[in-house]
Amino acid sequence: MNPIVAVDGLRIEAGGRVLVDGVSLRVHPGRVTALLGASGSGKTTTGLALLGEYPEGARVSGSVRVPGGPLGHVPQHPASVLNPARRAGALLGDLARRSGQGRSEVRAALRAAQLPEPEAVLRRFPHQLSGGQQQRVVLAQALLLGARVIVADEPTTGLDPLTKARVVERLAAVVRQGVGLLLLSHDLDVVRALADEVVVLRAGRVVESGPAGQVLGQAGGDRPPGLPVPPPAAVRPPSGTAPAGVLTTGTAPTGTAPAGLLTADVLTVEQLTARHRDGPTVLHAAGLGVGAGECLALVGRSGSGKTTLGRCLAGLHSTYRGRVLLDGEPLPRSLRSRTRPQLAAVQYVFQDARASFDEHRPVAAQVARAARRLRGLGRAEADAAASRVLAELGLPAATAGRRPAALSGGELQRAALARAMVVRPKVLVCDEITSGLDGPTRGRVLDALARRLREADLAVLLITHDLAAADTIAGRTAVLEGGRLVGPGGAD
Amino acid sequence: MTPLRSWAGRRLLLGAVQAAAVPALVFLLTEALPGDAAVALAGDSPDPQRIAAIRAAMRLDRPAGERFLEWAFGLLHGDLGSSLVTGRPVGSYLADGFGPTLLLAASTLALLVPVSVALGVLAARREGGPLDRLISSATLAVYAVPEFALGVLLTSVFALRLGWLPPTAVGGAWRDPAVLVLPVLVLLARPVCSISRLVRAGMIEALGSPYVAQARRYGVPAARVHWTHALPNALAPAAQQLARTCDWLLCGVIVTETLFVVPGLGTVLLDAVAARDVPVVQGLAVVFGLLTVVLNLGADLLARRFAPRSAVAA
Repeated sequence: MNPIVAVDGLRIEAGGRVLVDGVSLRVHPGRVTALLGASGSGKTTTGLALLGEYPEGARVSGSVRVPGGPLGHVPQHPASVLNPARRAGALLGDLARRSGQGRSEVRAALRAAQLPEPEAVLRRFPHQLSGGQQQRVVLAQALLLGARVIVADEPTTGLDPLTKARVVERLAAVVRQGVGLLLLSHDLDVVRALADEVVVLRAGRVVESGPAGQVLGQAGGDRPPGLPVPPPAAVRPPSGTAPAGVLTTGTAPTGTAPAGLLTADVLTVEQLTARHRDGPTVLHAAGLGVGAGECLALVGRSGSGKTTLGRCLAGLHSTYRGRVLLDGEPLPRSLRSRTRPQLAAVQYVFQDARASFDEHRPVAAQVARAARRLRGLGRAEADAAASRVLAELGLPAATAGRRPAALSGGELQRAALARAMVVRPKVLVCDEITSGLDGPTRGRVLDALARRLREADLAVLLITHDLAAADTIAGRTAVLEGGRLVGPGGAD
Repeated sequence: MTPLRSWAGRRLLLGAVQAAAVPALVFLLTEALPGDAAVALAGDSPDPQRIAAIRAAMRLDRPAGERFLEWAFGLLHGDLGSSLVTGRPVGSYLADGFGPTLLLAASTLALLVPVSVALGVLAARREGGPLDRLISSATLAVYAVPEFALGVLLTSVFALRLGWLPPTAVGGAWRDPAVLVLPVLVLLARPVCSISRLVRAGMIEALGSPYVAQARRYGVPAARVHWTHALPNALAPAAQQLARTCDWLLCGVIVTETLFVVPGLGTVLLDAVAARDVPVVQGLAVVFGLLTVVLNLGADLLARRFAPRSAVAA
């Protein structure tokens, strides 16, 4: 079979850095080629090169041969390519008109992308669609165009295992229609499930490539395929040398909190029933407690109310009944009515670290500002405290002194953790902080969190759908299902 | 009830409260002005006895609260009262002044929207290019010129020196539409600049976004990308500014009306304040207040359409 995409010796250099060095790959119709690698390994740069897009001022050599006509593109965050001011069908309509197709072809494309009720989706605005629906609309755009090749960039990042399985099925269905798929991913299980050919990238270079069975058999060790949740350190470089900082089980403070401590919980939640404004109740009488030096994992599917519970604790969600106690004292519902020590005591680390930083100011300055605002430190002291915490989390001054755009997702997540730690909180709420990260990076973040947990006597509520992450660091696990605590970790 | 309806209902209720607060405030402020209609009517030789007599005849000697309640009660029945000076009903003042003001505002708006959107989109097409620099510096320069100075300048060049256009609007626009040209130009100058700059900034942001990149990548022609994909995102801030401009055009373009002798609402207001004709001032305030509330509600609805996500954030 002849490949429809052939990349040979691609080298891309921008700003004095070599982003991609000598990458060669093939994509065949109706088959999947996976580009596997950690974040920053050059996956996205290679994928965009197929679309004819290069970083500004890039020097490119090598050859990229793609079929005529547009290539499909499904980015990591499908919402970003949907126009917020237009209904979801706007671009689809334009594409259909240009190629002389009509509404029926648009509906057919949406159905082919596994959206069984196209009409309902077409008339809604992107923010009214779920993440999965957004992704399917973007897939439908590529199908409507008749793209023979689709580049899918981290299509499963940040998703829970069940949703992830659906995305895999969706992509497999598209490939069965004869489309060639270039899958950019760091998720070994997704690659294993989909890929026919695998190219492993590290620091812009191909370290391994060949048929999936052969490459993954080497890289994945003895883990059986089809395991729903990979352990945090699952993606090892195929050379076999584990990078520094990969979480080892010895660092987890599993079971360090004696039972007697539970009576003196730092944070107690009693009968918490929360609802959205004008909306349904999302939490039903949830109760739990977290002691100092303890990590409680709160696991559950997307939409089970995990984040809402965290937001209630942090003062970001105030329409609830019940009580949130800090050291036995009730915490005011809203951020605005909390005192400065109360604000400092409960810190929240968001899933989307990038969105939680001001893009115009250096990261270190923003971390230092938290110390000044919430601990009342002077400028010099705050700067020193910030750089100390950042360094502990593996961010040297040279990196932290840059603006958020110059930091990778993992680096920013550690900076967000540093920003929370620098105010010396009693309670840390971590909302899916590892879900957008690749294996080694995830290990480093969890490692840092575990260390701080023991050193600072922190009470951590780790909101996650990543059971492996929960297992390695949390002493107890509480399970939320449909807004109700069903697991063993609840206080009652 | 849908979220949109309940939101619009809350906004309308707030608007009604605002509209009710405006007349009360205006009454207090006119009370605080030195002198009253009696003093103004008494002429240049104020004789205290004569002033008192006029005051009694006009029933201005009653307590302020009583007069306000009487007026507010009339308002509820749609009666704005009568002028203290001429005895004509306030409604007829408003009706006379509204025509010219509306005509001026409508002609200005009819040009303002297409011109400022076109300038903004043109400038944004190539950020930092020669056209962008030309439009940006020209709009900044024109924006810095106050309307009275621009009015005087335009009149002296085009009306007095060249004689192409009439210098004032005396005679009325229906007989000679050319009288509208200079006032409309003066009214257009600053709003065109502010709105086109907002459109430009919004367009530049939208054109750099991933959704525009996706539309381009998939072969949507450049013009369609600009006008139908990028522009809707650039209109939300411009819509707010447009409402403010409408409000300004309908509620007091006093300088321009005076300069070009347009007998609009601004002129009515100026004359009424000079004569301490409180009922006329209050009538105008009620109309202006209601217009402001309605226009801002419209702008918010429009902004929700162009930035639908703001409904979630609000």
